[in-house]
Amino acid sequence: MPDMVSLSRAASGQPSQFKTPYSENGGTILAVAGSRFCVVAGDTRRTDGYSQTRYAPKVFRLTDKAVLAVNGFSADGNMFVNKVRQQLEWYRHGHARDMPLHEIARLMQTMLYARRFFPYYVSNILSGIEEDGSGAVYTFDSVGSYERDTCRVAGAAQSFMQPYLDNQDDWYTRPSVHYKNQRSTHSSSRPTQLPLSSVLSLVMDSFVNASERHVEVGDGLEIYVVLAKGSSLQGLEKLTGAQEVTATSDGERVFTVRRSLRRD
Amino acid sequence: MDHFPTNWGRPRNDAFDAYGTYPLAQRPYNGPKDTFEAGVQRTQQPIVTGTSVLALKYKDGIMMAADNLASYGSLARFKDIQRLHPVGNNTVIGAGGDMSDFQYIQSLLDSLMIEEFTAQDGHSLGPAELHEYLAQVMYGRRSKINPLWNSLIVGGFKDGKRFLSYVDLLGTTYSASTLATGYGAYIAQPLLRKAVEGYEDVLTEEQAEKIMTECLKVLFYRDARSLNKYQIATITTKGVNLSESRSLDTTWSFAEGIRGYGAQTQ
Amino acid sequence: MSIMEYNGGSVIAMVGKDCVAIASDLRLGNQALGVSSNFQKIFPVTDRIYLGLPGLATDVTTLRELFRYRVNMYTVKEERDIEPETFAHLVSSTLYERRFGPFFIEPVIAGMSKTPAGGLKPFIAATDLIGCLNFAKDFVVAGTASSKLFGVAEGLWEPDLEPEDLFETISQTMLNAVDRDAYSGWGVMVHVITKDKVISRTLKGRMD
Repeated sequence: MPDMVSLSRAASGQPSQFKTPYSENGGTILAVAGSRFCVVAGDTRRTDGYSQTRYAPKVFRLTDKAVLAVNGFSADGNMFVNKVRQQLEWYRHGHARDMPLHEIARLMQTMLYARRFFPYYVSNILSGIEEDGSGAVYTFDSVGSYERDTCRVAGAAQSFMQPYLDNQDDWYTRPSVHYKNQRSTHSSSRPTQLPLSSVLSLVMDSFVNASERHVEVGDGLEIYVVLAKGSSLQGLEKLTGAQEVTATSDGERVFTVRRSLRRD
Repeated sequence: MDHFPTNWGRPRNDAFDAYGTYPLAQRPYNGPKDTFEAGVQRTQQPIVTGTSVLALKYKDGIMMAADNLASYGSLARFKDIQRLHPVGNNTVIGAGGDMSDFQYIQSLLDSLMIEEFTAQDGHSLGPAELHEYLAQVMYGRRSKINPLWNSLIVGGFKDGKRFLSYVDLLGTTYSASTLATGYGAYIAQPLLRKAVEGYEDVLTEEQAEKIMTECLKVLFYRDARSLNKYQIATITTKGVNLSESRSLDTTWSFAEGIRGYGAQTQ
Repeated sequence: MSIMEYNGGSVIAMVGKDCVAIASDLRLGNQALGVSSNFQKIFPVTDRIYLGLPGLATDVTTLRELFRYRVNMYTVKEERDIEPETFAHLVSSTLYERRFGPFFIEPVIAGMSKTPAGGLKPFIAATDLIGCLNFAKDFVVAGTASSKLFGVAEGLWEPDLEPEDLFETISQTMLNAVDRDAYSGWGVMVHVITKDKVISRTLKGRMD
């Protein structure tokens, strides 16, 4: 029948054509800069639709002063981290030192923009210690736009966590304002920059909250802490499960802390 | 020859249905066809496919399992296909998805192993290296928008260490103490996790095999593209051991009593 | 672009100790263009029930009038004020009447309901645009900033807050959530309903 012919052409849309070279693997990452330290965290759940695995790290130590968190399509994320690490290794061979943080940021922009028309489907957050010893966070979109920041969340639970941290965290870019929207009531008694211990508990709380409301966040939390040259441990030594992963003796020190999150 | 008169000629005005053929307004195009009207299609679709692969860590190493079926759509086409492929003495690759792509991967790996062997440098590729290689191949092919349509599980045991990892057609990788592809990811993975998570270092080979056959059985009951003929591979200090094909004991007598399942009595 | 984001706007309600609070932003937009900074989305239903109507602005007006009519009819027939629970079901069934051509509104209800003993207890509820009721014990959110409101509320809210603490909590939640939402903001309105009074305050927020 004529109409059956046309129907069969339409209905024969092949069962599983390769539609997109991307997928979205959920999870959330976050970084907070302090005056002499920074904290980078990410959950370890990796999702594919409603399937999930429990431990797939997305926060990586690049050097002793730089940590990179990647979120989005995990295959692109891993590939991008590999490529950045390769560049950093070549830099170290050529210059006999680690690449400074702001240079890594610019390098990442170049690398991301190089793929402008077939992008890495990844939100990047680069964090670490600048040459002046200050903690810094750089956030990128998938094609390389970037800015320096103090506190940034990316990924599935971004909209849950970012406004909460805006509220609880120091507003670095305008040092006169502390604790967003709490100016008139509390401003005089608040510190200019939050201490490491408060940042750590804030980060843990944020992830617990996010895992409560978002199915793609959970299983485990992996936190990296980078301390500037010569700064004290600031209570890290008392934190259960804190592990030092510093590679060189250049001065900056890197630590990891792991916590479990809800697995359902 | 098209025997349907309304298809022979088009009315002069396409907007007006001159022959009053409604509701048969849509007619096939009988003119010349351009085979490449949609452009050159490099991307395929899976044709002959394998379903789930299961894998777990146990006390002595890694255990993997897959059935022997390669389907052609819903047709159980090839019932004696091996979907577990040993590579070297420390690794097994298990594949779901397109079987011709898998056989291509097998040939890639076999020539890679020969190349490495001829170097005679005292090194051999273990599971970690093979997994990295496969991840790069799979990611490279997806980046060319011409993927190898598989979900692969790489299991191995080398230098006293267990290795178990996954890679798929998009180049996505991950590892865990239990892995399952295809329908197994939905049906067997929860059962595997319950039985294995936290017991990786105490499970014996007998216990592991019992868990595996139980999962395969559930899959055979529920996954219409599966078969009750399967193989199990272990990778331990003793190297790779790939079993002969075995059969699952399944019971179907219960189906009699279920309306819509077995023969109807009323 | 979804019709739910055409005009923008968000509402949240929270339970406290012997009190409830409901807050909304004051923005009316035409997609990304801000049009008004004094667009009320919360309306009193009785002395101790407030109704928030975030969503398509034309439906805000329509539904406000529709609920005013239906609540008046209820009051006349029953010769008493409607209870929050009853009103929530009225909202739900009114929206479900339009199951296949809905009003683009996600109502939020906050009120104090009578207990059998004669006291008053806090009540909040929210529905989706076709009237699926959600009776939460802690807080409910709706509108374009709903996911942000969820995030902040999940972090700030705690049980048994006194009226002034509840006011601070709901205000901080609202302000910080709408600051990260392009379609909500331009000022905030808060109502705290207690046993014997309603405290209504307008908050100054970022105007960008």
